[in-house]
Amino acid sequence: MTPLPQSRRLASGGLIDRSRTLSFQFDGKPMTGHPGDTLASALIANGTILAGRSFKYHRPRGILTAGSEEPNALVELRSGARREPNTKATTVELFDGLVARSQNRWPSLGFDVMSVNSLLSPIFVAGFYYKTFMWPAAFWEKLYEPLIRRAAGLGRASREPDPDSYEKAFAFCDVLVIGGGPTGLMAALSAARAGAHVILCDEDFSFGGRLLSEQFVIDGQSGADWKAAAVFELEQNPAVTLMRRTTVFGGYDQSTYGALERVGDHLPVPLPHMPRQRLWKIVAKRAVLAAGAVERQIVFGGNDRPGVMMASALRSYVNRFAAAPAQRLGLFTNNDDGWKTVADCIRAGIKVEAVIDPRPAIPEAFRQLAIQAGARLFEGGLVQDAHGTARGLQSIDVMTSTGRTESVAVDGLAVSGGWNPAVALTCHLGARPVWRDDISAFVAGDTPPGLVVAGAATGAFDLRSCLADGVRLGAEAAQAAGFTAVAPTVPAASEETLGLMPLWKVTGARTKAFVDFQNDVTAKDIVIAEREGFRSVEHLKRYTTLGMATDQGKTANVNGLAIMAALTGRSIPETGTTTFRPPYTPVAIGAFAGHHRGKHFRPTRLTPSHAWAAEQGAQFVEAGQWLRAQWFPKPGETDWLTSVNREVIAVRGAVGVCDVSTLGKIDIQGADAGTLLDRVYINGFSALPVGKVRYGAMLREDGIVMDDGTTARLAQDRYVMSTTTANAAKVMQHLEFCHQVLWPELDVQMVSVTEQWAQFSIAGPRARDTIQKLIDPMADVSNMALPYMGVTTITVCGGIPGRLFRISFSGELAYELAVPARYGDGVIRAIMSAGAEYGIVAYGTEALGVMRIEKGHPAGNELNGTATARDLGLGKLMSQKKDFIGRVMAERSGLTNPDRPSLAGFVPVNRADRLRAGAHFLGLGAHPSASNDQGYMTSVAFSPSLSHWVGLGLIKNGPNRHGERVRAYDPVRRGDIEVEICSPVFIDPEGGRLRV
Amino acid sequence: MSDPMPNPRFAFAGHLTAIGSLVAGAGITLMPKDDLALATVIARKGQAGVLGERVQALFGIPLPARPKRAAAGKIAFIGTGPGQWLAIEESSGDPQSFAAKLATEFAGSGSVCDQSDGRAVIRVSGPRARHVLAKGLPVDLHPRAFGPGDAALSQIALISTLLWQIDEAPTYEIAVFRSMAGSFADWLIASGAEYGIAAMS
Repeated sequence: MTPLPQSRRLASGGLIDRSRTLSFQFDGKPMTGHPGDTLASALIANGTILAGRSFKYHRPRGILTAGSEEPNALVELRSGARREPNTKATTVELFDGLVARSQNRWPSLGFDVMSVNSLLSPIFVAGFYYKTFMWPAAFWEKLYEPLIRRAAGLGRASREPDPDSYEKAFAFCDVLVIGGGPTGLMAALSAARAGAHVILCDEDFSFGGRLLSEQFVIDGQSGADWKAAAVFELEQNPAVTLMRRTTVFGGYDQSTYGALERVGDHLPVPLPHMPRQRLWKIVAKRAVLAAGAVERQIVFGGNDRPGVMMASALRSYVNRFAAAPAQRLGLFTNNDDGWKTVADCIRAGIKVEAVIDPRPAIPEAFRQLAIQAGARLFEGGLVQDAHGTARGLQSIDVMTSTGRTESVAVDGLAVSGGWNPAVALTCHLGARPVWRDDISAFVAGDTPPGLVVAGAATGAFDLRSCLADGVRLGAEAAQAAGFTAVAPTVPAASEETLGLMPLWKVTGARTKAFVDFQNDVTAKDIVIAEREGFRSVEHLKRYTTLGMATDQGKTANVNGLAIMAALTGRSIPETGTTTFRPPYTPVAIGAFAGHHRGKHFRPTRLTPSHAWAAEQGAQFVEAGQWLRAQWFPKPGETDWLTSVNREVIAVRGAVGVCDVSTLGKIDIQGADAGTLLDRVYINGFSALPVGKVRYGAMLREDGIVMDDGTTARLAQDRYVMSTTTANAAKVMQHLEFCHQVLWPELDVQMVSVTEQWAQFSIAGPRARDTIQKLIDPMADVSNMALPYMGVTTITVCGGIPGRLFRISFSGELAYELAVPARYGDGVIRAIMSAGAEYGIVAYGTEALGVMRIEKGHPAGNELNGTATARDLGLGKLMSQKKDFIGRVMAERSGLTNPDRPSLAGFVPVNRADRLRAGAHFLGLGAHPSASNDQGYMTSVAFSPSLSHWVGLGLIKNGPNRHGERVRAYDPVRRGDIEVEICSPVFIDPEGGRLRV
Repeated sequence: MSDPMPNPRFAFAGHLTAIGSLVAGAGITLMPKDDLALATVIARKGQAGVLGERVQALFGIPLPARPKRAAAGKIAFIGTGPGQWLAIEESSGDPQSFAAKLATEFAGSGSVCDQSDGRAVIRVSGPRARHVLAKGLPVDLHPRAFGPGDAALSQIALISTLLWQIDEAPTYEIAVFRSMAGSFADWLIASGAEYGIAAMS
């Protein structure tokens, strides 16, 4: 198909590049446009006025606005994985090859089956769901909701992963100017001339705001020429950053603003390495909000018909885009500004059929203008209903000042109900807008610190005031940021008047009159809400969904409020206002994630032996941010348990090695290091001899166990503490808190050395033989020289400095060898070759876990935030001779009750049964209920040494019930077996193997 | 012991790749600084003055009391907190001996801990360095706010970082925990790709 000519493109004018033609498709139809077009302007130039179907009633909808406030013209942009629903055609910059589809219609936009909803509209009014779909409850999920979801709703999201990338960035400036219209440009110029670093953001792809869309004259130049000169000056200034296609969507604490830059959205696909969007966090000493104003509608019958458009939008299409939305236009305006449309239409050759101005008397100049346009003038008239079809508008019913109704044939209607200042950003920190009677609009109330509002956003709608505001507030902002500003002279601009007579809703409409187009809320819905008692603004919003769509009711809220005010006989400020929350316009979730998606969701910490472990084909597991080897499958091993059993048997029978570098390591120095340890651990450390290691446990203030580990004394004034992997940061924080806040008088210096050392556990009967081969000759590591719980400094592999700890988690003869992390890779390889003759294996966290369960060592599952030291069998460690954190609170009667769940071992009575962690303990024959609960199984493992499952658990009075049988009840996995309570130490209870 | 001493494996090994064609004058250059000896130095209680005098006498460096880098010759001290510094020795042949030497010199006035392996340092330079760092570092690096000799402890891409500026090129050096060097390099490369990246060893 060849595209048809752009039938509604004006012969001349507009800020489009006619030398280049862009091809695009809408609903499969090929069309063309030009650089400078939006999708909406290109559609209008191609004579397309039907853009989509509405949310609830599937009403045909056209293009209402020319900006980000658009409620109607939402399309699915692009296809495949890049398909993006609910994209506003009015903000999409046209590019070659653009593909867009209308939404909410089946089978086609012109003929839509679901528009039957419109016939059923009596049942779709506000509150219908709440009242009707209450019963029976089971029907809600299965029947009603799917039905409603199919009938109502917006576009379809792509279900494929987003192929584009996003990023975040930080920017800092003296003055942030939000909005690049006449006010913003002037403010930026004013601040920049003072020497301030300025960031100017505008959501449009072109600066200028209304200067692009109106026939303004500034200093004798056209608005567009003046704008070009201003932008040129700003571009030449290295202290100015111009950010086009960037929406400042939120204002946050301490003068921080969120902004979304659409870096690649105007391209078919982003260039290589180009992010699609960039989320900026802008820290500004001062900010000038020059976001302009949004034109508001008048509510009348059929006001949502395709062909009805905001008057300012119509002028944008005519002046900026050289596209004619209509050929025979009606204008419905309650203010002087709307009358600009008439002059612009005359210039563009668009016939104005009628002007309907509800004001009883209008300035003579406008009467003359109507005569010049050949338009019928209805002073004091009202548009009651607009009639048309999906193909366009046909006529309007005008109620004259004398009460007659006349039909006027038109194919378009421009509407102006006045302007609402865009004050959303002033509300993001909690302030509410305030009502101004003289302009019948809400303006900013309290403004956040550092932010001033300027121009149309303050309700000063005329160009002169906007330029003057920009000059003054830009200079003041620069001054407040520490610069000496000389305010430039204000450029000369023609005078404008507003002359607004508030008109929110026309009475007597015969057809449906819409307030919120995007959420299909009608004037009648507000009547129902009032009748049902939902008169507060917050109730009105939630009952009718007014203002809850993706446009947040930018064109709807004030009309809705005014209608409620009229119904309840209150003023608008008495009725209230809803406030605004970020974001000003929707922001893709991907932009908030930025780089942090997929495996980059959070940083990954790699152990010093990671590259080696990966070469061995290790299976890795996430342990916090760490990636640890979980087990090392050998060829032919398909089942994790087979690998883990082999690793455990090898350690218990010969020797194995495991990377334990992830455990927290804290270097503690100073004359009072021992004192600090005495106070944070339940047991004593100041008397620990140099060269010795001791196990310790520390409590929280409330007496519950926080962490455990070993601490070695390296010198009289130096210890190195180890913590669990999970609690490394927490323990460091705890120690720093204790030192800085509780006992600043102590001479203690602490620093984390977790990352400095690669640490390997070498365990098993042949551990010493293996170690001996690595250690440089002079060191003696015999049982005599380095007994169990000893530590020594050595060198390995020909001069690598290291520390050798004789400690064991597995219950076997074991050492932990620490070397500087850069040598971790080399040393693990050296350990493996040294142990090869003894059959050494590498073992992972699973085998580590099996062996600690076999030895009854409590770990993360037992340190569950409710267990005391006594509960874990560590009661005897608690010193009676000193004070320590948690000592007093641990003595509370509830924490010393012998009936508390305490650590015990468990074996299945039928040895073939599998144990399950999480199973609850019940007396034999007891009814499964919370009151009969005796505790639960915390950790289980298959013990290859015993050839059956073993478990650890916390059970009432556990230590005194060895030999007793209970049920391990696991309803989630349908488990209910008999288990025997026993000692938690399953292997070598005397600890003989540790000391050989 | 017949095997030779194993080679060290540095934190950024295998994590850095060059990207894109470097347009003349554009892009960033990444260089791991594997030759630095690093040590944390913390003043003993009430001994900060004595420690400062020792540092001045030994290296001719006034200990910075703020997040600043003070350097003379191959030695630099960066303020990382009240009474805490990161001491750096450039082109160190024997990193462990640097910490050991400082420990001896500062006995009684400062506690020293070797961190040569605990932190991975990478040098980021080139005219686009500021643009790339702005994608993760919430610190204003504009010359009027941050210059050679300035340092900042902050976060980039959820990774704790200590950054300092070497010269006006600009050249920055960034220290991260060793285990996160890979994730940090991933972020650097993703953020710098659009400008082109040269990776040097």
